[in-house]
Amino acid sequence: MILQNTLSSPATNGRTFLVIHPLDDVQEQKCETKHLGAMKMTPAVRLSLLALRAYLVLMMVMVLYHALDLAGVLAQNGGKTP
Amino acid sequence: MVSGPGLIVMEADNDAGAVSTYVQAGAQYGTHLLWLLVLLLPITYFIQEMVVRLGIATGQGHAAMIYQRFGKWWGLFSLVDLQLVNFLTLVTEFAAISLALQHLNISPLLGVPIAACALTLLVLTGSYRRWERIVVFLCILDLAWLWLAFHSRPSAGEMLRNTLLPSMPAGGLTASLVFLVVGIVGTTIAPWQLFFQQSCIADKRLRFADLKWARLDTLIGAAFTIVVAACMMMTGSAALHRGLSFSDPAQLAVDLGHAFGPWFRTAMLLLMINAAALGTTAISLSSAWAYGEVRGWPHSLQKPIKDAPGFYGVYVLCVAAAAGLVLLPRAPLQLIIVSVQVLAGVMLPSAIIFLQLLLNDKELLGERFVNRPWNNAVNWTIIAVLFALSLVLAAQVVAPRLFPAG
Repeated sequence: MILQNTLSSPATNGRTFLVIHPLDDVQEQKCETKHLGAMKMTPAVRLSLLALRAYLVLMMVMVLYHALDLAGVLAQNGGKTP
Repeated sequence: MVSGPGLIVMEADNDAGAVSTYVQAGAQYGTHLLWLLVLLLPITYFIQEMVVRLGIATGQGHAAMIYQRFGKWWGLFSLVDLQLVNFLTLVTEFAAISLALQHLNISPLLGVPIAACALTLLVLTGSYRRWERIVVFLCILDLAWLWLAFHSRPSAGEMLRNTLLPSMPAGGLTASLVFLVVGIVGTTIAPWQLFFQQSCIADKRLRFADLKWARLDTLIGAAFTIVVAACMMMTGSAALHRGLSFSDPAQLAVDLGHAFGPWFRTAMLLLMINAAALGTTAISLSSAWAYGEVRGWPHSLQKPIKDAPGFYGVYVLCVAAAAGLVLLPRAPLQLIIVSVQVLAGVMLPSAIIFLQLLLNDKELLGERFVNRPWNNAVNWTIIAVLFALSLVLAAQVVAPRLFPAG
């Protein structure tokens, strides 16, 4: 069933507007993505992905440090109090 | 007709974890952190607006876009991280449902499976519209937080001052304050939101002409969410004024119930369950959509179960496994909560970087939908702040003695 609302009032100058729900409308052609492949490595993209890799490495080092700290390895070797 | 995804993605973000964070912020610092919520309103809108443009322009989800434009490695990294952090977050949602049910004198062994079944049935109707209407109704129920905040009787002058003027709470910069500030930012801007809204827009098949209405939907959703979050904080602040200590939101509901009456306790516990239900359906759907997009499975709420078994299977598996884990005796919930924070810290900046790069991809979007220079200036600033906060959070989880104890 097609769900549609018709708007007509003095403000619309007598013209009639048909409001169609997106799910009932004809599907439109979107930006084509299939043939594009991977993104071009411009300096900005390269720098962003490099920063992201550095960030992920730093996070992994932090998590590793935390795991070693919880296991008591750092406290024994570094003489930290628990 | 266009509205829905924006309101849902924003309000579902006020999930069980958010209730806990905002109420705790109120219970510990009163209304002192209200200014932070005001600051987060444009940030959350700008990020989700990019998702709206990308979703409407491509008609595809975020996971599919990352796979196509950044290759298998980054695609797989994003998908695995999303699924993991989503699942752990779902466990916290069901843990909150279980906690609230216990305080309502309902056995979690009965209530949690019923909640899981109801949340599963919600998506199995084969109608996007039916799902959206029910979830929007659940979002509107959150307006009851305004009522609770009003009954908590916060001082209007203090509230206004703390909303407009950032100030340091008594006690200064402590570990607890830093953790809460990062927690508030982290709970207001979550990685699953990017994936959810783009897939939701693609599923609803929003058209190019719908862009301005979808933006308005997102703006209204952001404002609605921030107002509800502020009300949660104000409700929590009633505990501070009465000298009550915070352990968890359900216990606080019971304690405040002694001051305001049993209806207050019941309403707060039911709103906790509502928040967890909203979070569960949105997060599970973001997982199911993302997995379906990457695997190339049919993935739409418009499809009956027989036409999209993989998509619905992922949703049901997420909900059932999270609910089941909560019911296990001695489930490591504390470990799960810490893991959610760390993984979300890893996930959010990377997901936003991909979003920002995609929104500058003229080859993909053309001139019409790419970011304008002012968009980029705002968004790179937001990304830098989120990176810094994620690192502070990670540093604090790793080295709890980084800031003075408070």
